[in-house]
Amino acid sequence: MIKEVHMPKLSPKSNQYFFGEWLKEPGDKVSKGDVLFEVETDKVVSQVESQETGVLKEHQVKSGQTVVVGDLVATIEVSES
Amino acid sequence: MITIPVASLNASYIFALEYYLMTEKKFTDPIFMIWSTKPTVMLGKYQDVSTEVDLTYIQNHDIQLVRRCSGGGTIYTDNGCCQFSLVQPTNKKIIDFSDGIHIIATALKETGFHITPDSRNDLIDDVGFKVSGNAQYLLNDYRLHHGSLLFDPDQVFMNNALRSDPVKLKAKGISSTRQRTGNLKRQQPTWSPSKFKKELNAAVLNNVPHKIYHLCSKDKERINDIAEQRFCSGNLLSSSEKLSFLKKRYIKGAGLVQLKFEVKENKLRHVRINGDFFSELDPQKFSNILDGTPFTPSAIHQIIEKALQPTPIVGITAGELVDLIFKKNCPHTRH
Repeated sequence: MIKEVHMPKLSPKSNQYFFGEWLKEPGDKVSKGDVLFEVETDKVVSQVESQETGVLKEHQVKSGQTVVVGDLVATIEVSES
Repeated sequence: MITIPVASLNASYIFALEYYLMTEKKFTDPIFMIWSTKPTVMLGKYQDVSTEVDLTYIQNHDIQLVRRCSGGGTIYTDNGCCQFSLVQPTNKKIIDFSDGIHIIATALKETGFHITPDSRNDLIDDVGFKVSGNAQYLLNDYRLHHGSLLFDPDQVFMNNALRSDPVKLKAKGISSTRQRTGNLKRQQPTWSPSKFKKELNAAVLNNVPHKIYHLCSKDKERINDIAEQRFCSGNLLSSSEKLSFLKKRYIKGAGLVQLKFEVKENKLRHVRINGDFFSELDPQKFSNILDGTPFTPSAIHQIIEKALQPTPIVGITAGELVDLIFKKNCPHTRH
């Protein structure tokens, strides 16, 4: 089953974030709590963790892009069980 | 609260100390530190060197260049400034500057300064000039808040080292927001920077129960390793940038040595060595063996030492070549 990863809200002031870098690549196994990527907003660099355990399928955004809260940023394949 | 006395003026070491506290030492109490630096330019994590900094100026004036792990813009600091760090355990992932700003703003007010926090989490003085910038990063259930207080910085260095309007240069990363800066010395003209630092530290610690932790030799060893791995000059480039270097030195008893090389994605590329020294060293083989080496002194030293074993250079050691590579910052960058 494919699960979508959406940009969470990290700042009470802003919904637009600078996408910093990916810390997992497509094909990597990910566990719940693993850091997937880093974003910057309001002078703060934050790491976003996976809420799923599975295999990272696809990046939907690249470093340097602006992402908005709720944007699809990646997909993760999780086992059905 | 725990406070750690910091004697080093080397920002790479101090950023490594912060990182060490968050990733390895992991105290359960908040940690507060006050520190200063030698003349230094600090880039935000996702900023481009070439659009933010006048590299020729900082090279000519021996100003250190370091990249922070935190966000925000490029700043200049020196011994006339006072930096502070607050490392707090947290399970909140939401951005929050309130604790760090409250600690510093309260201490400044108690020492007689008129300052107000603004909407960007900076501190503004009584005539509307910025006197403190703050930034954070969240890592491993810790929040690092660090800030800079402009007491009496070298204004000439500050104005010349930082590009005045980086937005116009079409930066690919985060651009700095330039604001009019002031200095806190205007409000305490008889104070030296060290008195300011001492008074501020005393005011902060007077407000909270605290204990002092002194770094041991094991701590310092790890911090030095982290400084080299994460905060050395090889980590200054954003992913789209490439630095080109030309380093020359006359070594007594050996001759002139010139090294041309590039650094891309924090790896050494296209090394060209020449000069009037004596050696059977094949420059092409030397270049090939170094190509792709991580841009750290220890990694490069290991490879050069291996290359010089069968074909030494008369009067020049591997260590001297590594020193030449890392002595100063770069002449130019390009994307």
